[in-house]
Amino acid sequence: MPVSAETKYGPSVTTNTVEFPYRRSLGPVVGGFVAALARGQITGVRSTGVRGGGRVLCPPLEYDPDTGAATDGELVDVGPEGTVRSWTWVAAPDARHPLDRPFAFALIQLDGADTAMVHAVDAGGEDALRAGLRVTARFRAQPKGRTDDLAYFVPEGTETTDPDVVDAAAAAAGAAAAGVSTEPVQTMEFWSSLTYKEAVSPATARYARSMLAGTLLGQKCPTCAKVFVPPRDFCSIDGIRLDEGHDLALPDRGVITNFTIVTPVPYPGQKETEPFVRVSVLLDDVEALMGLQPVVDIPNEEVRVGMRVEAVWLPESERNAEEFGNRGWGSTTGAISGWRATGEPDLPVERYIDRVF
Amino acid sequence: MSADEPGAPGKTFGEPVAIVGYAVSPMSEFAEQTEVQLCLDVVTAALASSGLGRKEIDFTCSGSSDYLSGGTFTFVANLDAVGAWPPIRESHVEMDGAWALHEAWVRLLIGEERTALVFGSGKASTGELSRVLTLQTDPYYLAPLGTDPLSLAALQARALLEAGKATERDLAAVAARARRAAATNPLAVPAVAAAGAAAVGDLDAEIDALLAAEYVRSPLRAHDTPPVTDGACAVVLATATVARRLAAEQGITPVWITGLEHFVEPHQPGMRDLTDSVSTRRAGEAAGLADGGPVEVAELSALHSHEEIILRGALGLPDTCEVNPSGGALAANPTMATGLVRVVEAARAIRERGARRTLAHATSGPCLQQNLVCVLDEASTEEAR
Ligand SMILES: [Zn+2]
Repeated sequence: MPVSAETKYGPSVTTNTVEFPYRRSLGPVVGGFVAALARGQITGVRSTGVRGGGRVLCPPLEYDPDTGAATDGELVDVGPEGTVRSWTWVAAPDARHPLDRPFAFALIQLDGADTAMVHAVDAGGEDALRAGLRVTARFRAQPKGRTDDLAYFVPEGTETTDPDVVDAAAAAAGAAAAGVSTEPVQTMEFWSSLTYKEAVSPATARYARSMLAGTLLGQKCPTCAKVFVPPRDFCSIDGIRLDEGHDLALPDRGVITNFTIVTPVPYPGQKETEPFVRVSVLLDDVEALMGLQPVVDIPNEEVRVGMRVEAVWLPESERNAEEFGNRGWGSTTGAISGWRATGEPDLPVERYIDRVF
Repeated sequence: MSADEPGAPGKTFGEPVAIVGYAVSPMSEFAEQTEVQLCLDVVTAALASSGLGRKEIDFTCSGSSDYLSGGTFTFVANLDAVGAWPPIRESHVEMDGAWALHEAWVRLLIGEERTALVFGSGKASTGELSRVLTLQTDPYYLAPLGTDPLSLAALQARALLEAGKATERDLAAVAARARRAAATNPLAVPAVAAAGAAAVGDLDAEIDALLAAEYVRSPLRAHDTPPVTDGACAVVLATATVARRLAAEQGITPVWITGLEHFVEPHQPGMRDLTDSVSTRRAGEAAGLADGGPVEVAELSALHSHEEIILRGALGLPDTCEVNPSGGALAANPTMATGLVRVVEAARAIRERGARRTLAHATSGPCLQQNLVCVLDEASTEEAR
């Protein structure tokens, strides 16, 4: 539970970052568009059908969005000059934007196209922008096989000082010299990263405090008598609010009611390399179940339903509450390293096998 | 005839559907409650206002976005607000709760179910809303460019100005009215309500003051854009038989849904006329907007000032129509619930303020890409006949 310096939020705030490396198939139309960019050529596609047939869509799509009819798939050259139809000024760009200096987003109708594409214009200042402004394309000097090999546009007649981009003629000459492929580009990678922050709920804060002190904490609904771990300040069966008065200290011994062995598949951020086990533990004396718990000193092949286990607490000095978020389904990470066998005789499988959640 | 077929005994296909209960959470720029707690409170309050209990609900549908919350299956966790045990009939749309309302309405028209609970929720403060919405755009041409929602909205606003259909002063006038309305709406985001309450002098003077502000994305200024908002909203629906029983037994005033439709337009902003909203017009026509008395109140999901001008025009709203008396989305924009809040505000105008016919609008996607229109009436279509 890292406490944020952003005191305006009052309670402590948890943050976490979710990242995902997308790899997208581009298909023949977008892939062809990208391939042509490496040669300094922007392309559109001709729509077919009775209504709107023959108009050139740029950016090119597989289907005419007005009719749903497949476009003819033949990419046609447009631009590299075009006309600004609408624009706005981004005075303070951030990391996701294509330029790190103030720039315009604009709707640009390329010469030879019947539709406009959204793109960036490096115009120096907002005063240079107006509807009707003539612009021309700049391409990435070292193309990467992505849609953003079309780097941005500049007002016609602008000298370019950015060493990372070239005009259409230079891009074409460079591609010819390097023998760049004309085959459609197949995939494009896109790294998505989002950071989330939320206030730690009072129930989560009480759970975290209790776990740091070495006591499992649950909450008992007075209506249905179900015990939830961790406390959430509501009963999901009855749809009623609960509060601190319904908190309940729980025993840290119980019985395994179910388990699974997870074989790790490599993905970015994956820490596990060997198959590992996760168990459901039904705590003694209370009807409280903790799911997806790790085990300690029990070989995977020995884990079984009915096995008696107890929590292995980390030394108090090593405990931390970083994993205790509002939506944990009973995470004990940071306080309990896992559950180990007590050595007591097993309990009857048939009494516990249905207790998964 | 099987009992499962429409028209079978005990089942009425196409029976009119009414809103019998609703609730809206307080709106804040950073809610300390979890999303499920926000949902729990509005579900409980909406059911109480409908006279129905949790176990009397035949169908539940919610609208929310896991991308906003940053958790997989957050929408499943939100079901904890409903009391989903024993198992219930339930569905979810990764859209504004207004589209959940549409699904529930269709289910009730089919006739197998008679009551429905609809809720929409979002804590836009949790993620970086602008970045989340950027990722919602086309992943080939737009998202890699970082086309943030404010920039796309500004392109539409500029197009409207260039076409001579509005001026920057018109935009500021929309914002000024929204802030004034927010000042008297207890469910507006407090900062917007405070700005409205602090406005001094006449509307013209206030517009002058707003026009002195810097652009955030020209031609849009901060007051033309919605506040990041956390909130939730719930609506309870019932078919005519149940609604009339609730009216007789519990004094509930049903508000009838006489039309509900939505249409979508091309995603690429450069492939449609940004100065018009064809899908809104078509949705209004399909919802029977022209087939009744004048709409007295319209609650429009205009996330940016210029969108209200486009939507008014597309719907052909008469000058007598009061637009966004709640302050609209400029007063509170709980992403994934904003449209459903409009439905509640339009229903409130009938149930609490004596309007006869009102309209709610919801939107999704960049530059008003997809639009839903819901027409509400004090009388059902049967009664009107
Ligand atoms: Zn309970």
